[in-house]
Amino acid sequence: MTYRVTGKWIARPAASAALRYGLAFASIAAALGLAHTFLYFHLPQPFAAFALSAIAITFWYGGTKPGIVAAALASIIRYTHWSEVSAVSRVLYDVVFVIFALLMVGVNRARSELEVRVAQRTAELTRANEDLSLEIAERKRAEEKLRQSEAYLAEAQKLTHTGSWVWEVAGRCALHLSEEWYRIYGFDPEEGMPAWDKRLQRIHPDDRAKWQQAIDQAISEKSDYEVEFRLLLPDGKVRHLHTVGHPVLDASGNLVQFVGSSTDITERKQAEEALRQAQSDLAHVSRVTTMGELTASLAHEVNQPIAAAITDANTCLRWLNRDHPDVEEAREAASRMVKDATRAAEIVSRTRLLFKKGTPQWELVDINEIIREMVALMRSEVTRYSISVRTELAEDIPQLTGDRVQLQQVLMNLMINAIDAMKDGDGTRELAVKSQRAENEQLMVSISDTGVGLPPQQADQIFNAFFTTKPHGTGMGLRISRSIIESHGGRLWAADNSPRGASFHLTLPVEAEAHE
Amino acid sequence: MATQAKAKLVAIVDDDELMRGALQGLLKAVGLPSRAFASAEEFLKSGQQHQTACLIADIRMPGMSGLELQAQLNAEHCRIPTIFITAHGDTKMRLQALRAGAVEFMAKPFDDEVLLENVRAALDS
Repeated sequence: MTYRVTGKWIARPAASAALRYGLAFASIAAALGLAHTFLYFHLPQPFAAFALSAIAITFWYGGTKPGIVAAALASIIRYTHWSEVSAVSRVLYDVVFVIFALLMVGVNRARSELEVRVAQRTAELTRANEDLSLEIAERKRAEEKLRQSEAYLAEAQKLTHTGSWVWEVAGRCALHLSEEWYRIYGFDPEEGMPAWDKRLQRIHPDDRAKWQQAIDQAISEKSDYEVEFRLLLPDGKVRHLHTVGHPVLDASGNLVQFVGSSTDITERKQAEEALRQAQSDLAHVSRVTTMGELTASLAHEVNQPIAAAITDANTCLRWLNRDHPDVEEAREAASRMVKDATRAAEIVSRTRLLFKKGTPQWELVDINEIIREMVALMRSEVTRYSISVRTELAEDIPQLTGDRVQLQQVLMNLMINAIDAMKDGDGTRELAVKSQRAENEQLMVSISDTGVGLPPQQADQIFNAFFTTKPHGTGMGLRISRSIIESHGGRLWAADNSPRGASFHLTLPVEAEAHE
Repeated sequence: MATQAKAKLVAIVDDDELMRGALQGLLKAVGLPSRAFASAEEFLKSGQQHQTACLIADIRMPGMSGLELQAQLNAEHCRIPTIFITAHGDTKMRLQALRAGAVEFMAKPFDDEVLLENVRAALDS
């Protein structure tokens, strides 16, 4: 049942107006009927009591105006039916009816006010209820959204193998660890957040100091930190982790927490390792192929000191086999023999090193020494094609960090290319190898020839894989050379040489560069 | 005596220092005077070619090769009995050298007895 609220009053339904006034007449008629019934049975005459009840009923159900009508009717009826009553009692009855009517007007007014108030309160409650349900629905939506967002985040963390965390600096305890974090560290989320010590134990013993140092530094400097380290899980599995942390400061600038993420980079590390191994294998194959081309020259190069050694040994015997052995001359021949054999051994070991297969060995190397070694190794090859070699090596060149064998390979490739470019040509055949300091802590090595020059219109392509101008070339030499130089943090490029031929230049940083 | 000694000079032309040392040492052990040159050009420039009774030369050298040296000497009408010592000589090269007046064509490592026989033969001729 609803009421239309208009000011303080409530308009009762219009349709009931006739009924309400009808109620006045009907109730008074009923009171009259009852009074006559009482009279018939000679009971005390109770019209006044019945009339008051009728007036009250009419006021209550019919409203004020019908109530007044009922009171007036009662007064008239009492007057017309019971005229024998004294004038005083007549007035008394009328006064009672009027007071009663006035009281009932007051009751009705109070009731109406109460009804208005109830209606208002009901409306307010309804509104509040509606607001509340809206809010509940909103909250439910938000919760659902949050749950969804958390699910997305967890999925993203799973896909990227990234766990998030927050830890408190003062207590060295975790405040948040994501599901993925637990998976990476191999902890069970059901068992709650692992203690700091337990967490520390999962870090690979060899990397603990590194990790600790990164954290200590970040704490003392209130700075971000980034560290790569390994986990050693109880089942013996090793995981590579990349962690970044960001400091959280309170209002007064005190370090409170670190928030960050840890990414499992094991797969990437393995892929990198496999790639490095593949590159190294490829470089090795290429090197061996190149060395194969040099077999004749290398054999000659070893043969030379051996021939000298045999001759010196025979000479030595001649001096000793004389009737009067000349020990002094014999000693000289013997010491020449030592030199011969040493040279042969050097060539063999130099060659063997190039044939050796293995993972890159990073060490301090002297580029001039490498150049000299490779020039020595190429001696027979250049002689074979009547090529003169000119070396201009700057003596003040600092050492660099690199893989000796791979750098030798690059120089060998470039020198063989230079020789190949010149061996069928006419005119002077000169191979120039130059080393010098370059800008930005770099050194530059240039290998120039007076050969056929770079293929016209294809100068850019010579570094592409499988590009070759040689009948039996693999097309990998320059490609591999460039990747070796780039893995050393340097550059390799080609240019035309003046007045003819080609020049290959390579730069290498003298400072140790990242080579991972 | 002086002219005889001059005529018996053996010249060695080889770019390899160890080889030059070994050959000089061997000739010294058998009492033959020798002079060594690191290149064909050096030998030609020295002017010693006219006093040389026997030439021991490498074929493959930076700059002028042994065969080119032989051709040059022939062109200068300075035919010196020549013994070639080489690590990688093929038959064609050998025939070419012999046709141009070479005494012998030997592969490294060589037999010192055979070399000395050839040198002596060259000096006696």
